[in-house]
Amino acid sequence: MTPPERAAVADSPRHGRLKVALLGAGYIGTDLLIKIRRSPWLNCTVVAGRNLAGDGLRQARAMGFAVTDGGIDALVNDRRDHYQLVFDATNALAHQTHWDLLRPLGKRVIDLTPSRAGFMVVPTVNGEDAPAHPNVNLISCGGQASIPILHALSRHFRGIRYIELVTTASSPSVGRATRLNLDEYVQTTESAIQAFTGVAQVKSLVNISPAQPPANFRVALSLLVDGVDPAAVTAVVTRAAAVVRSYAPGYRLCACTVLGGDRVFVTVEVQGRGDLLPTYAGNLDIINDAAVTVAEQHARARAALAIPAREMA
Amino acid sequence: MSAAEHILISDSTLRDGNHAVNHQLGREQLRAYATAADAAGVPVLEVGHGNGLGASSLQVGIAALGDREMLETVRACLTRARLGVFILPGWGTTRELLLAIDCGADLVRVGAHCTEADLTERQFGFLRERGVEAHGCLLMSHMASPARLAEECARMEGYGAQAVGIMDSAGNYLPDDVTERIAAIRAAVSVPVLFHGHNNLSMAVANSVAAARAGARILDACARGFGAGAGNTQLEVLVPVLERLGWRTGIDLYPLLDAADLAERELIREVPAIGSVSIVSGLAGVFSGFRAKVAAIAARERVDPRDIFFELGRRQAVAGQEDLIVDVALELRAAAGAAAG
Repeated sequence: MTPPERAAVADSPRHGRLKVALLGAGYIGTDLLIKIRRSPWLNCTVVAGRNLAGDGLRQARAMGFAVTDGGIDALVNDRRDHYQLVFDATNALAHQTHWDLLRPLGKRVIDLTPSRAGFMVVPTVNGEDAPAHPNVNLISCGGQASIPILHALSRHFRGIRYIELVTTASSPSVGRATRLNLDEYVQTTESAIQAFTGVAQVKSLVNISPAQPPANFRVALSLLVDGVDPAAVTAVVTRAAAVVRSYAPGYRLCACTVLGGDRVFVTVEVQGRGDLLPTYAGNLDIINDAAVTVAEQHARARAALAIPAREMA
Repeated sequence: MSAAEHILISDSTLRDGNHAVNHQLGREQLRAYATAADAAGVPVLEVGHGNGLGASSLQVGIAALGDREMLETVRACLTRARLGVFILPGWGTTRELLLAIDCGADLVRVGAHCTEADLTERQFGFLRERGVEAHGCLLMSHMASPARLAEECARMEGYGAQAVGIMDSAGNYLPDDVTERIAAIRAAVSVPVLFHGHNNLSMAVANSVAAARAGARILDACARGFGAGAGNTQLEVLVPVLERLGWRTGIDLYPLLDAADLAERELIREVPAIGSVSIVSGLAGVFSGFRAKVAAIAARERVDPRDIFFELGRRQAVAGQEDLIVDVALELRAAAGAAAG
């Protein structure tokens, strides 16, 4: 089956695209930029990083974007209202400072760091609530890959006693900020799984795989569930995976088994589109596709408000 | 080699040995062995879940005791030996480091897979601020070149590691491999170098001696080789061999042999032997800790465990990727079905 491509240009905006800024030009930021460029709803007016000679800002400039090495200060000092929304692709520790500076300016933020500061969003689960929150947090790539399935299972089976997530990303797909944020990554992912499933006993583990050639990004889910029907598990998991594929086409179920009557085991691989890095780096795509989806939702909501306003005028 | 140079023995019986019993070592077992090893003058005792702090999980096994319980139990038995812990960033976080420090851990071994030393930067920084001695080691080290291992070790030294080195997690090395790697690391760092062997190809003691000859000054070993699959370097063999070659370990032979006898009696279900599947896992370069899981899944899916190990080796699975075993078994079964059909 060929998965559908994300929202086609057919429903492109009639009132100008939403102006966005990108803060941080690491792997996640640079890959996100390529996805923003494809979006009919978004227009990135500035990319703010730290180093003009670094790979990220050089690539951004080569793609034709305005760049600055002034970081957050450059965004705060922007007096010409160049942007309404900021994607924060820096690191968890810096995010709180960024939000403290951007909030008084009335900017919206989509946070791709595991900061736990904003309203946690997984598009297929609570994406429709996102536009109501000025600071949206996208948890982690492991959270984005696992929560759609875990949430669906928690809705269907009441007796979940324990959830465990093991995330494996290939070494070349994991940038410096993520490496320094591993503790926040683990803890934020655990909190998010608790919040989305209502299960208190949660564990998140992360592997960075040195394999060459690199292996696809994957997550493994192990659950202890009372009174579980294997056929129902397969149906719920398969349905949840199909919904994620509506915006992340490389999302693929590898194994889905029930052992010993109470242990559910599911593995998922995510192939990326091969934008910044080759397709093994599905970890970039699963969070960046979510970021673009949430930003487009906001752009649509804004356009919907703008139409009646113009008709009245 | 100068006369009577010292080699620090780090005894991982109560940590790596836990792999061989699915992390089920109990309080009395910890107490009995820790007391015996301490009496023998073993300088460092590493304790915990086989995969380190915070690792108790369905993925690699739920431990019988929590981290705190294990550490407090052993701490209370030690009069001379230092209490060591192991942590792999991504599996254990600063939360677990704080717990270990609170329980009186003297020495923290921070691990990372062969090429991933920069994952340890934060934890070394954290430990340095608290003045806790910390050593860095690269797991699954056979997957990287000597030059790359040296570079990664130098990186950990830069983060503040007070010793650095490599683990032969898969039991894949032959002595010349070890000599080359330890020599490269020695040339790249000024802190002591460590080596941790496994016995899949019957080389653990020989590899440890090669490491010492190449300049390693910290060697890991376990009583009776207690460890997953073919087991680790056998402690009570390594120590007298090193002494005979002219190194000092500070460990007394008879009490050491008594501790090893006690381990066999009280801790070990099956004294490690080089079974056929362990030879394959060593050749394939796959973490020995996968053995029990591979055996169970192979039986369930009716595929040859040796095929699973070779396929895991081809995919370069590392310790912690136990979830790959099911995928590999299902694919092998499907392929066998297709061939038969």
